[in-house]
Amino acid sequence: MFKPLDPLLHSQLRLAVMSLLISVESAEFTFLREKTESTAGNLSVQLDKLEKAGYIEIEKSFKGKRPLTTCKVTSTGLKAFEEYVDNLKQYIE
Amino acid sequence: MEKELSSKESLTLITEMISRAKRETAGDGGFQMLLWGWVIAVCNFGHFTLDKVGYEHPYYIWFLVAPAAVISFWKGFQIAKTARVKSHISEVINQVWITVFVGIIITLAFMPVIGYNQNPIILILAGIGIFTTGALIRVNFVRAGGVLLMIAAVIGFMLPVPAQYLLSGIAMVLGYLLPGYYLKENCRGRV
Repeated sequence: MFKPLDPLLHSQLRLAVMSLLISVESAEFTFLREKTESTAGNLSVQLDKLEKAGYIEIEKSFKGKRPLTTCKVTSTGLKAFEEYVDNLKQYIE
Repeated sequence: MEKELSSKESLTLITEMISRAKRETAGDGGFQMLLWGWVIAVCNFGHFTLDKVGYEHPYYIWFLVAPAAVISFWKGFQIAKTARVKSHISEVINQVWITVFVGIIITLAFMPVIGYNQNPIILILAGIGIFTTGALIRVNFVRAGGVLLMIAAVIGFMLPVPAQYLLSGIAMVLGYLLPGYYLKENCRGRV
């Protein structure tokens, strides 16, 4: 019996963001936007969804005079990502 | 509109993103390794030479460490300020080298207690730093540098103190600078 894939992660941009964040300690918004080749608006919406689900933490601060948004994966997010990959394997095998 | 993903597309996307994150450089392309490698090697060779020519205060050469420390901290601060991503490996490598640095300071503070045999101990500490760095970034050439520094430490303990400076200089060139240049050539910006 195939387990359903987490709908929150089974989306191109959110999965891309999570894949980037599990590889690093933390990443800035501009880094995520550049690597996912997304627009700032769309990325903001998807980050908000991931944050509301408790998958990531978003910290807003300042770098000099510029606002800075830093994202970090949480333990809940890491667990969800691992489960997603495990379930994904069933579909591929 | 979000694109519907197939299982294979999901896996490809995950792999691609992990690889993109890994390529992001958070380091300085071996700058710190080359800076400290050169400074410590020059100080060791300088100390040995000044001692041989009979200069009364050969240890004056070690004052070179002060400007090197300023440059090192300034560069580290600049990198931390401009880095858009923090990687686990860079964080661990930083912590390892801070620990090695503290170990070296403690060793230097107790030089009279250890009969001025600080050089082999510093080689052990540097060897731990280099070997761990090599293990974390999975570069055997760097790991070999750590082994070489450890072997040099063993030899150092069997030599008189003045000769230890010459040995340390050679060990720094072979076990520290060579891996540093290897990383620079191979664009390992994460170190």
